[in-house]
Amino acid sequence: MARIELCNITKRFKKITAINDIKLEVKDKEFLVLFGPAGAGKTTILKTIAGLEYPDQGQIKFDGEVINHIEPTHRNVSMVFENYALYPHINVYDNIASPLRSPLYKKDEEYIKKKVNAIATVMKIDNLMERLPSQLSNGQRQRVALGRCLVREPKVFLMDEPLAHLDAKLRHLMRAELKEMQSQFNTTTIYVTHDYMEALSLGDRIAIVIQGRFEQIGTGDDIFYRPANELVAKLMGEPEINIFQTELVSDNGNFMLKMLCQERLFALPDDVAKILSAKKVNKFDLGIRGNDIKFYFEKPDASFLTGTIYTIEPIGNKSILTVDVNGQFLRMVAPSDLRAEMDSTIYIKLNLEHALFFNCDDQKFVTRHVSNII
Amino acid sequence: MNTKRLAVLAAAGRNLILTIWAIFALFPILWMVLCTFKLDREMYSTTFFFHPTLDNYVNVLVRTNYFKAFFDNIIVSGGAVILSVLVGVPAAYGFARYNFKSKEFWAGQILGFKFAPEILVVLPLFMIYQKLHLIDTYLGLIWVYQLITMPFLIWVVRGYFEDISLEVEQAAQLDGYSWYQVFLKILLPLVKPGLVAAALLTFIFAWNSFMFPLILSGFSVQTVTVSSLKYLASDTVHYGQMAVAATITVLPEVIMALAIQKHLVRGLSFGAVKG
Repeated sequence: MARIELCNITKRFKKITAINDIKLEVKDKEFLVLFGPAGAGKTTILKTIAGLEYPDQGQIKFDGEVINHIEPTHRNVSMVFENYALYPHINVYDNIASPLRSPLYKKDEEYIKKKVNAIATVMKIDNLMERLPSQLSNGQRQRVALGRCLVREPKVFLMDEPLAHLDAKLRHLMRAELKEMQSQFNTTTIYVTHDYMEALSLGDRIAIVIQGRFEQIGTGDDIFYRPANELVAKLMGEPEINIFQTELVSDNGNFMLKMLCQERLFALPDDVAKILSAKKVNKFDLGIRGNDIKFYFEKPDASFLTGTIYTIEPIGNKSILTVDVNGQFLRMVAPSDLRAEMDSTIYIKLNLEHALFFNCDDQKFVTRHVSNII
Repeated sequence: MNTKRLAVLAAAGRNLILTIWAIFALFPILWMVLCTFKLDREMYSTTFFFHPTLDNYVNVLVRTNYFKAFFDNIIVSGGAVILSVLVGVPAAYGFARYNFKSKEFWAGQILGFKFAPEILVVLPLFMIYQKLHLIDTYLGLIWVYQLITMPFLIWVVRGYFEDISLEVEQAAQLDGYSWYQVFLKILLPLVKPGLVAAALLTFIFAWNSFMFPLILSGFSVQTVTVSSLKYLASDTVHYGQMAVAATITVLPEVIMALAIQKHLVRGLSFGAVKG
């Protein structure tokens, strides 16, 4: 249990700046997810908190107390490493028991046995206890590493992509398991992932890390519905959000949107039109997610746009449909049983009530329609 | 059916080649052992028929101070290896884990000691040793043997340390072990195969060393390699006695190699890190 603060932390590796002047406060018992593309500095942030990397600048505080000078051994943190870091010469049981046998967190063997077996059952590795790490699959190794992390009660859990190497089914199962355990932990957790579903499902808050900086820190809803900029919007959701340029035009005093090389103008929700028209520019980037676009094969009415089917990718329980509208590709979610000819004509309609608007120049978020969902 | 027969043939062929190689490799040892039972006058006969005798053994083991040389050799070689392990393992860890200025230069420099021809360095060493009164002492030989043993040990063990992922060490620290405990409980078991192999090989290097003990000792401390010279008389060479000395000399090496054979097989560290 601890409140963790990072104050202006900078970490460089030779000439490369891995973390650039970041500030973060993780509340006691909070589950914070660090989310971002590969090489963004997520692991370095974790290792800096653990004391395995020493920051070039800034302070790390646990419960308000500066702990920069404290050795990793004495910080009382528990970490899952991305490459597992299991001890190759001892078996699974001893690996998981290792923290409980160390001089600092010593427990009697009876307690260890009970605890290790309980953890192993949750991780579904109770049948592998006698094996060496080299005799396990990557998914099994990862669960052993997670087990070794969860077996004791530290001030903070640091988890570096602990589910990344599990197969899809097991990952969903373990995600649910982690979420369940999280409510019992009562321990601050910092969790690194690059799977947006894990981030949204587990995190009390999500911090988006891009190139060693926080682009946005907020709840899952904040990040998904009000992303700070286009980069953040693109990281969340499958298929990737559609972003294209639009123009705001005045039509007899009503502000309308001109887009996708269409003759006709599109009506905006009132609150959005008001905010956009107050800006000095008239060009905006519009972002719209795949499930906010409707499509039909026969034109229901004049409000639908005409496009041609570019690709259909079935991905299990849904398909990703890419439609070409005057040279702009739009990705949308379709039912998995959708069958259609390539290049055939399709009619689509964008739900502008769910559209996000960004500045064209700095890609920052401007506004969206406020409805009852957010 | 056909493939099965092929597999059997291949296995037979493999074993045949290995057997031939084994005979080829072991023949000098066999010949040496045979020589120990021969009289000097039968030494040059190329047939395997001779009149076996134990005279050579009696001459070497009873009438000379061979055993003194043998134990001296154990003391200096063993001492040299122990010192190399004590100093070399931390050095190897340092070279594997820490980045410091001209690291590779110093690592190469240490290896360079091994490449230096002994005859080239032994004369200056002789003069230095005279000044330091290290000539003909156990300590003197153990010290100079570091030139033979330490570089090899450092390089082999360094490779093993580099194979252990840094995260394993870090994980152990976070588990609540101090650095020394991490070293003893996690790192040492993992480098053990390399350490044992390197220690054995360096022991053999030290055991076989000739030039250093010849020049830097010879009276109160005498190794078997040097004492074998005694069998070279001015008019004749006592090959039989030399063979006895050589046979007993290789015994510890052979026994040790067989005893720790399984440690020479590598592969413990694989699989700990994502593959």
